[in-house]
Amino acid sequence: MVTLDVRPQLLDTLSALRDRVAATRFPLPLPGAARARANRDELLAQLDDYLVPRLREPEAPLLAVVGGSTGAGKSTLVNSLVGRRVSEAGVLRPTTRTPVLVCHPDDHHWFGAMRVLPELTRVWSAEQDPVDDLLLPAREEPTRVLRIETAETLPRGLALLDAPDIDSLIADNRVLAAELICAADIWIMVTTATRYADAVPWHLLRTAKEYDATLVTVLDRVPHQVVSEVSRQYGALLTKAGLGDVPRFTVPELPESAWGAGMLPATAVAPLKNWLVHHAQDTAARQRVIARTAYGLLDSLQSRMPELASSAAAQYAAALRLTSAVDTAYDGEHARVRARLQSGAVLAGDALKRWRAFPLDCTPAELLDALVESLAALLLCAVTAADERIDEAWRHEPAAEAPGLADRGLSLESAEHRIGLAVRRWRREMEEYAEDEVRVLERTSAPDPEIVAAVVATALLGGRRARNAGEGLADRMGAQGALRLRERSGRLLTEYVDRVMHAERERRLAALEAFDIQPAPQAELIAALSVLQKER
Amino acid sequence: MKAATDQDHMEHTDHMAPTEHSGHMNSEVMNPGERADLLGEPLPPGAGALIDPVAAAPEDRTEDEATRGPSHEATYEATYEARGESANEAARTWEALREWDALPERDARVADRDVGRDMPATATATAGVDADSAPRLRPSHRPPRQPGPSDETSARRGTADAGIDTGAASGTGTGTGIDADADSDSDSAEAWDDGLIARRVTEAGAAVLAAEREADSRGQGSNPPPPLAYDGPLRSRLDALRELVGLSRTRLDNRTLAEAGRVLDEAAARRKLSGRHTVIAIAGATGSGKSQLFNALAGVAISETGVRRPTTAAPIACSWSDGAAGLIDRLGIPGRLRRRPAHNPDNDGELRGLVLVDLPDHDSAAVQHREQVDRILKLVDAVIWVVDPEKYADAVLHERYLRPMAGHAEIMFVVLNQVDRLPGEAADQVLDDLRRLLDEDGIALGEHGDPGASVLALSALTGDGVTELREALGQFVAERGAAARRVAADVDSAATGLRPVYAAERRVGLSEEAREEFAARLADAVGATAAGDAAERAWLRNAGRACGTPWLRLWRWYQGRGDATTGRHAARPQAEEEITARQRVEQAVRTVADRASAGLPGPWALAVRESAVRGAQGLSEALDELAARAGMPPGRPPRPGWWPVAVLVQAAMTLLQIVGGLWLAAQIAGVMGPNLGVPVLLMVCGIIGGPLVEWSCRMAARGPARRYGQEAERRLREAAAGCGRARVLDPVASELLRYREVREQYARVVRSGAGVGVS
Repeated sequence: MVTLDVRPQLLDTLSALRDRVAATRFPLPLPGAARARANRDELLAQLDDYLVPRLREPEAPLLAVVGGSTGAGKSTLVNSLVGRRVSEAGVLRPTTRTPVLVCHPDDHHWFGAMRVLPELTRVWSAEQDPVDDLLLPAREEPTRVLRIETAETLPRGLALLDAPDIDSLIADNRVLAAELICAADIWIMVTTATRYADAVPWHLLRTAKEYDATLVTVLDRVPHQVVSEVSRQYGALLTKAGLGDVPRFTVPELPESAWGAGMLPATAVAPLKNWLVHHAQDTAARQRVIARTAYGLLDSLQSRMPELASSAAAQYAAALRLTSAVDTAYDGEHARVRARLQSGAVLAGDALKRWRAFPLDCTPAELLDALVESLAALLLCAVTAADERIDEAWRHEPAAEAPGLADRGLSLESAEHRIGLAVRRWRREMEEYAEDEVRVLERTSAPDPEIVAAVVATALLGGRRARNAGEGLADRMGAQGALRLRERSGRLLTEYVDRVMHAERERRLAALEAFDIQPAPQAELIAALSVLQKER
Repeated sequence: MKAATDQDHMEHTDHMAPTEHSGHMNSEVMNPGERADLLGEPLPPGAGALIDPVAAAPEDRTEDEATRGPSHEATYEATYEARGESANEAARTWEALREWDALPERDARVADRDVGRDMPATATATAGVDADSAPRLRPSHRPPRQPGPSDETSARRGTADAGIDTGAASGTGTGTGIDADADSDSDSAEAWDDGLIARRVTEAGAAVLAAEREADSRGQGSNPPPPLAYDGPLRSRLDALRELVGLSRTRLDNRTLAEAGRVLDEAAARRKLSGRHTVIAIAGATGSGKSQLFNALAGVAISETGVRRPTTAAPIACSWSDGAAGLIDRLGIPGRLRRRPAHNPDNDGELRGLVLVDLPDHDSAAVQHREQVDRILKLVDAVIWVVDPEKYADAVLHERYLRPMAGHAEIMFVVLNQVDRLPGEAADQVLDDLRRLLDEDGIALGEHGDPGASVLALSALTGDGVTELREALGQFVAERGAAARRVAADVDSAATGLRPVYAAERRVGLSEEAREEFAARLADAVGATAAGDAAERAWLRNAGRACGTPWLRLWRWYQGRGDATTGRHAARPQAEEEITARQRVEQAVRTVADRASAGLPGPWALAVRESAVRGAQGLSEALDELAARAGMPPGRPPRPGWWPVAVLVQAAMTLLQIVGGLWLAAQIAGVMGPNLGVPVLLMVCGIIGGPLVEWSCRMAARGPARRYGQEAERRLREAAAGCGRARVLDPVASELLRYREVREQYARVVRSGAGVGVS
């Protein structure tokens, strides 16, 4: 027989693992991301609401959560088990929207504090008319509540929780129900004669099997005349699903149970109640129940943690792909810009016309203006082309639809602005260089520094086609000075071009980096799991 | 497809011979697999094997006999008599009718009017004969024609619509709803082939169809069901949708268009089948009592009911009148699952034309049930949703079925079954809650006479409320509008689905501003401004040189001698390649493409951008060439008329200086008498006048120089803009035009959403 023995190390590693799980994020909208997020939330709920509190305090009362489809008669069942109307039953679906926890008055302190289900606000008793509560749409209550009722009729050491449905239209209900079921020691699944083949409850049953939780099924609302047949068929279905050994209780449909009356005679639910009381009070049985659910959950971590880790890895891989698309695009464009500069593409169009007219029909300032503008156009063209290539590559990536990644509507104008700024700064610095060089010249008729700057710029940007600009410069400045000036300005140019391209690339990546997707969580999850396994 | 139809044709001719002879055989029950093939309707795997025509035919036959009431007897007798009179005659009349209808249709739609004019004549003629379902094929109806064997072949050659429309035309003779039919006949005469998307009905296919109808008409004892006719607005919407799909083929992927294609296919397939029947499916969750309701409506226990969940595993059909075999074939329901309702003289007439289909559940763990439900729900004309007090708020029902089908509210009944399980007031409470949920799903509720879904409460077990449902169904079926409304709702939902790929966020198009900006960018790329400046300045310089004083010129020459200019030399020698700034062209194209595609739905924006990029290929080279050509003004720069005068005056001034100088020199030398005044005056005149003339010339030359420069700039600018327009803007504009066309077509599909059922 398995019993629960808890060492403090296990608890420590468990809370470490919990922190790792809580820290995992799935920001990119990958195909499996929504599921991974749900899995993480579920795992977190199970750790927080069940496993950790249970291991910390094994003596706490057993919590049996009654779950099932809408209209399966969960509330009626709870009322009947308790022996008075604690949860509102009704004909309108879904009936129960506020979960109700019933326990013995002596056990009240276990649930009144935030030991389990800490995110639910406690409501002590049903002072307000529950019908009013019912009429309120769920959305108007931003905080989710858990109503706590006490009943003497319930034995000590057992608490019943009436959960909302798992399959009605109200999505909040479904989420809440899943969360509540995660907190249970005993899962009581209620289904009915018309429902027992429904797909949704079967998913839940399979989940229970996967987690090896202590499971009880109740077949409710069975008309008298078909009790044996339906019960047999349900049993067959359970056996087929590998759940044949699950305790199964059948509750017939009685006039008392009909819709809204809310109570069944005690005899109808006696077998279930006896089973529950026995497991709550008999130490061995109780131990067995707790150990089974707890170890089932611990065992399920073995497959669930790697699943989470692989989702985290997928996130990282997607982020890498996005980044590399940006890098490829910008690298390609950067290389193209360099090649263009080399071949003198800047000295074309306006700039070329100006250069041809220089110096007779064109002032050096005009020539410089034209060159600077042309250079800015080249850089802007490269940046937008890179962006276009990135968009093209990202179009095939589902992850690129993450909020904030795609919208860059405003950035284009500002890219033009930023590039213009950088290019003008380069011009100013180059002019300063030219002035420096001219000043040290010992000639009597020193050339105008502006002309020198214009010719140097032409020589740098014009590539092959401005060869005679270099010659002219040498004539004016002397070979050495010309060479020095060209080299300095050339280095400056390369530096500025690199800086512009780099800045634009960084801007493009900023949104992605804001998500902060790292490879670490994957390894950490696996590491936490392996430590846990060692501790067990 | 052609191959397939050919094959069908072959098969059919084989198969026709016996039918022709076997007069009584109910050939309407043909092999469903074959029929389905013909319609292109994919049958579920294995369905062919399930369907056993041999087994099905006798069964139907016996049921025919069994359920035929006294009122039918007369009809049957009369028809039989007509055939007995002269079977050949009747057949020929059929063909004649067919040909007669087919004739105007050979010329597509233009002939529509003619047919419209002609058709009422037939209608009235037939209507005049008999109001009841009396023999239709009397020789007296025979339109003027040339009897002979050629008729048969020409009838077979006719378009498929000929065959179909003949059916519609013959429908006038059935006597039920003559007026309505007469109206719709004019519409249905219009060519309505499958067009671009579905199987285009080939000649051969048409022949098969025609022959098939013929075989039906000959071999069958009962009336062949007249096919469905859609009214004008709906047909034009379907046409618009088909055209839309055709126009979008190259731009959108098949997946996007699949739903629209399916709707068109189904609309075409449904149209070929009986318009007198309404197929209604009963759908619901497991255990809600679908089969019970089915049995309650039919009056016999046809469908198995039970406590075992899920109970019904395969759909079962029940037809209240003959001629619905084609419709049931389309649903893929095998012959052994077709039933007849219990004969009940009171109710028979009421539900005439109803074909009820009991579906499996949609929410049990048996996935194949859900698949069947999903498949059949797409094909039926109307749906009865059965819910029960326990399950009416299930997420599966609302999220998976009711919300997506909210547009189909008009062909929807929502029935709250098992109200007997609810105590007193609770039934109304639940019904109200159900109405609220349906309202939240966006389903229009048919209260107070509005079109929309009918919500009823009943108990199939006790029979409460079943009569109301029966009445509602009877009225619904009698209207015969369900199929068209269903198709209209399908078109609506397909249109809604396509909205993101057609609807623009804002007004689209290339603004004048954007065009001008593009031209300006191209002009920048070829350097028009700089070229203009340079030309202006060069002209001015030349003018100054021409009109300047010779001394100044001498000085300049001297100055220029030592100073080898850089620029001028550079410009001269090599024939330049890549005059145009490539990056600017690229940027200009990208900007204009962005502007043009802003606000367009994805695929069209991409198409616009692609057309711009494609047009931009070679644009730079073209601009290079153009700049080389247009950049150099032809011949020498023009000279103003006053220029020679100015040169003359300048020369005169120089002459004055020289004359004055010489005069003075002569006086100094003593050759001439001393007279200082005149020569000094002359010289001063010359000295002052020279620069004065030069200055005034320069002032005067400014205007022409600017004009000259602007002319050079304009020439280059216009050439560049023209080049850009031809290569980039025009393709972009035509792509935008294409989008606008498609958009209009889409608007046509959407527009008349409300006008369904109103002709």
